[in-house]
Amino acid sequence: MSKETKKPFRQSMTEWRQFIYNPNSGEFLGRTAKSWGLILLFYLVFYGFLAALFTFTMWVMLQTLSNDIPKYRDRISSPGLMISPKPDTALEFYFNKSDAQSYAEYVATLRKFLESYDDSKQSQNINCTPGRIFDQNDVAVKKACRFNLSELGQCSGKEDKTFGYSKGTPCVLVKVNRIIGLKPEGEPRIQCASKEAGMVEINYFPPEGLIDLMYFPYYGKSLHAHYLQPLVAVQLAINSNSTKEEIAIECKILGSPNLKNEDDRDKFLGRIAFKVQMTE
Amino acid sequence: KHSDVKATRSEYRQECQETHKLQTSCAKAAQVLARDGPNALTPPKATPEIVKFLKQMIGGFSILLWIGAVFSWISFGIQLAQGAESPFDNLYLGVVLALVVILTGIFAYYQEAKSTNIMASFSKMIPQQALVIRDGEKKELPADQLVVGDIVEIKGGDRIPADIRLIFAQGCKVDNSSLTGESEPQSRSCDFTHENPLETKNIAFYSTTCVEGTATGIVINTGDRTIIGRIASLTSGVGNEKTPIAIEIEHFVYLVAGVAISIGVLFFIISVSMRYKILDSIIFLIGIIVANVPEGLLATVTVSLSLTAKRMAKKNCLVKNLEAVETLGSTSVICSDKTGTLTQNRMTVAHLWFDNQIYSADTSEDQTTQPFDQSSPSWTALSKIVTLCNRAEFRPGQENLPIMKRVVVGDASETALLKFAEVILGDVMNIRAQNKKVAEIPFNSTNKFQLSIHKTDDPNDERFLLVMKGAPERILERCSTIMINGKEEPLDSEKAEAFQTAYMELGGMGERVLGFCHLYLPENEFPDTYSFDTDSMNFPTSNLCFVGLLSMIDPPRSTVPDAVSKCRSAGIKVIMVTGDHPITAKAIAKSVGIISATSETVEDIAKRLNIPVEQVNWREATAAVVNGMELKDMSSQQLDEILCNHSEIVFARTSPQQKLIIVEGCQRQVRGHHLLTKPTSFCVFQGAVVAVTGDGVNDSPALKKADIGIAMGIAGSDAAKNAADMVLLDDNFASIVTGVEEGRLIFDNLKKTIAYTLTKNIAELCPFLIYIIASIPLPIGTITILFIDLGTDIIPSVALAYEKAESDIMNRRPRNKRKDRLVNEQLAIYSYLQIGIMQSVGAFVTYFTVYAEQGFLPSTLLGVRVNWENNAINDFEDSYGQEWTKYQRTYLQWTGYTAFFVSITIQQVADLIIRKTRRNSIFQQGNKVIWVGIFSQIGIALILTYGLGHVTALNFTPLRFQYWFVAVPFAILIWVYDEVRKLFIRRYPGSK
Repeated sequence: MSKETKKPFRQSMTEWRQFIYNPNSGEFLGRTAKSWGLILLFYLVFYGFLAALFTFTMWVMLQTLSNDIPKYRDRISSPGLMISPKPDTALEFYFNKSDAQSYAEYVATLRKFLESYDDSKQSQNINCTPGRIFDQNDVAVKKACRFNLSELGQCSGKEDKTFGYSKGTPCVLVKVNRIIGLKPEGEPRIQCASKEAGMVEINYFPPEGLIDLMYFPYYGKSLHAHYLQPLVAVQLAINSNSTKEEIAIECKILGSPNLKNEDDRDKFLGRIAFKVQMTE
Repeated sequence: KHSDVKATRSEYRQECQETHKLQTSCAKAAQVLARDGPNALTPPKATPEIVKFLKQMIGGFSILLWIGAVFSWISFGIQLAQGAESPFDNLYLGVVLALVVILTGIFAYYQEAKSTNIMASFSKMIPQQALVIRDGEKKELPADQLVVGDIVEIKGGDRIPADIRLIFAQGCKVDNSSLTGESEPQSRSCDFTHENPLETKNIAFYSTTCVEGTATGIVINTGDRTIIGRIASLTSGVGNEKTPIAIEIEHFVYLVAGVAISIGVLFFIISVSMRYKILDSIIFLIGIIVANVPEGLLATVTVSLSLTAKRMAKKNCLVKNLEAVETLGSTSVICSDKTGTLTQNRMTVAHLWFDNQIYSADTSEDQTTQPFDQSSPSWTALSKIVTLCNRAEFRPGQENLPIMKRVVVGDASETALLKFAEVILGDVMNIRAQNKKVAEIPFNSTNKFQLSIHKTDDPNDERFLLVMKGAPERILERCSTIMINGKEEPLDSEKAEAFQTAYMELGGMGERVLGFCHLYLPENEFPDTYSFDTDSMNFPTSNLCFVGLLSMIDPPRSTVPDAVSKCRSAGIKVIMVTGDHPITAKAIAKSVGIISATSETVEDIAKRLNIPVEQVNWREATAAVVNGMELKDMSSQQLDEILCNHSEIVFARTSPQQKLIIVEGCQRQVRGHHLLTKPTSFCVFQGAVVAVTGDGVNDSPALKKADIGIAMGIAGSDAAKNAADMVLLDDNFASIVTGVEEGRLIFDNLKKTIAYTLTKNIAELCPFLIYIIASIPLPIGTITILFIDLGTDIIPSVALAYEKAESDIMNRRPRNKRKDRLVNEQLAIYSYLQIGIMQSVGAFVTYFTVYAEQGFLPSTLLGVRVNWENNAINDFEDSYGQEWTKYQRTYLQWTGYTAFFVSITIQQVADLIIRKTRRNSIFQQGNKVIWVGIFSQIGIALILTYGLGHVTALNFTPLRFQYWFVAVPFAILIWVYDEVRKLFIRRYPGSK
């Protein structure tokens, strides 16, 4: 191997040039224009065919799907819990109750979130019978149940435009993830607790954090366009001597045997944990 | 030490008388031993085991994977510092990558060590003992304790313990074949006969054997300073070149690593410019590297090679270095020994001449009868002489063995005659017993005949029978009559002429000819009680009756001609290199086909045209017989020309050193650039791979220099076996040819394995690229990729090694080292850009199906990556308005991985089926092991999916059964597409 004589630089340059374009045979990168054209054509046809095949199979597959409900719902058998407002970084609220700027974003988010719950938007929604699953399987056009903002009491944003943030009693809305066809059993309710006792007092709207069964089941985006998921507002009255401390709060869905809240791996399945730190 | 050798005869005489004065005392011996070291060859420097091991750890793709592992750990460190939620994924990934490297490294090391161990058993020798006279006492000492000046005694059967100068010898003969390649035992005496220590009669060399007689000598060289030690050090000086397959694999690794690194870096830049975080970009880079590197491939190659090595071992080719398996397949020149390799390594009667006629005898290995006409009374007379005038005897207790396999005590010619007689006449020993020997003169170099006198077995005939055999011309001199058809006729000039013609003809065939004559001694002169005296020769030794000639040769092995012609059709040039006489060499070369029937040497042409040799145009001669003496005076250019211009070459009378020159010539001939420009030469410049066979110590430099050195297992010396890459257990040239076949097959099959393995790299890579560009949830995880590369794909890749040859691979020319690469452009492009893309499409269809049926339509998936992977978003909305927590999404993502994995596996089954053959249709060629591959592939996938689907760390989830079938149409498409391609290849061969 070592004996291979090195070609002079100029010669190898010429060879390279010859390889890139050979004027004698009209070869470009070792092939003629015609040859390159044929190769290009082949790949054009080949990939064109594959693309068409892909599109076709995808189309066939999509034809087998219903527009209304997904084929399988086994990956979401139990709903997760989520809160609003949701801070960008993690589920941690930091605000200064005397500095409106520090919680302006939370307030704006809440306001935006509750827009769809505004009475004017709920004109089509009907008043359903509380405490009972609102089964509409036989009905073609699914009705949505009305969720009165007033149920959220002090957290409705009507009386207190800052949702309690300016008073040191911030509101956090807890919602149950929408899952098509989910029918909770029993009397589901949200209950929150602070890990450190005595730092915070928690109030629920509606009272006891109850979630009414009439909002279930959900029939999906296309059938159930005006559906509004039930909300539970949690108002945290932070003790004045607990300011500047990080308060960890965990909310769980309780009272319903078919809603899980203690999954090892999924920390948001039927529960949610967040932190609040308020300064003055 | 030359002065020792040159000492005059009288000095030796003196020494012989004063032996006792020369004795070394034990004390002095200890001193010399301390100075010179033990009398043993320094073993060649072995690479330390740890270095070998580390080489496996960093060779090939390992570096890339180490980089991947280090990147994983770096990103783990960064994530940990940033306090991210699940930094341990990257730690695990790094650990897994490191484990993959270490485990494949250990595996390769183990495989290599295993094949080395086979060889180690060869070199185990029983410690040698030597009989030394020290302090006036004879002592048995281990040979490595010998020192210069020691006096040692040797007898027949001993191995010479050091280089010794003889001071006393009685009928001593040594077998120098391990040193010089000459198989004839050579006599040794106290006489200084030649300047050259190798030629002089009074030196016996370390490691040669004393065949018969006894001798006493002074140790003149020990250990590495012996002649053999010098050759051994010459051997270790010859560098080891990379094997062709190592070059190919290196080329392949560079190619794949090049693709991996360029795609990796390209997408690193793309992802950075798409504003991905650097950390994310690094993680993508790891994924791309892992997807591109066929982690299991090098292990698969090793396994395939060792499978072939095992298969070759069954066919008597023991491979020392796994890579040599393939080297044999790319061999384009074989420099073969004659004795033992091409021939049976035993003298056998080939022709007879009596009644003015030449008869041919059967020379095959397992003769039981001789077919020639045995009705003539002359034959009866001749057979009697052959039987009686012979000192050789069968060793007792071998009655059940075939005659040809029995061990005989006696020299090569007598053995041949004994066996010949035994085959035709039956119990020779009994015949001899019935014809009692009364007197005998053994063969000696002055008389050049052997004579014995017997009583005959005919009770009515009281005459003694005198039988004689020897050099034909000497025998004829002593005869006055000749037997024709059982009658004694006067030996006139016409009959003498006939004898001459026959003698020349047999001699011209390279055969050793012996003349036979007899005489019935007249009863009245030599009565029953006559006392024969061999010293005074009181009986007639002239005016005898000439009976016939027998000629002997070491005949070619019966399988060799076929093997040589196979080599020829396989485009392999067979060159004979032998220490034998040119005539014998040429005769054997002709009979095995190394020189074909129609071709002529320069000498033949000269003879035919009746012109001097110098006038012959040497380009017309296709064959050449080159004498070692001529070779000595040749320049390397002249040697090149000979190697170039003759397709059939025999080198005769070559010295051991010349063998190395010839091998170098063969390698240079086709490697050198300077010849390329010469318009006159018509060599094929393709980078020849030279195989060399050899058995002696003297061969070891050539064996080492060769691309593949082949040592003889039976006749080979340990040094030869150590220097060789392969050992022929049966010393048979034909075994080399089967080896070549296996080597070529494995090269073809490795091509298939690599094509099979490379294809799915694209299906593993595309997910990452599309993930980065289209921001969809990751279709397949890095760990899952490892499960394909090191799980489902391994057994099928190995199964391809069992594939049979497609067309007659022995009718192809040897592969051109420059052009026929293991992985070429076409293979890579076809795998990467065609089949690989098809596989990706099939896998993506499954992926989108799984997501769509769970609620995420393809349109929803595009661009969701950032939110999808955000741990804080736990109400991610799907196409139907449902909301998903992070873990629910991750679990779905794992289901996606599993589906993608299953799709690749299913399509790899199709890939396996199409890679089985490169030209033939699947319907034309079966291979049962492929089924094992397919079932293992699917079986492992089932176990991973359903069995280990609940182990979170592995990222597998149980999968709905129908998803196994989504990719099936694509698998069928791949198969049909390739069948069509093969059809075109068969219809229009040779098109680009």
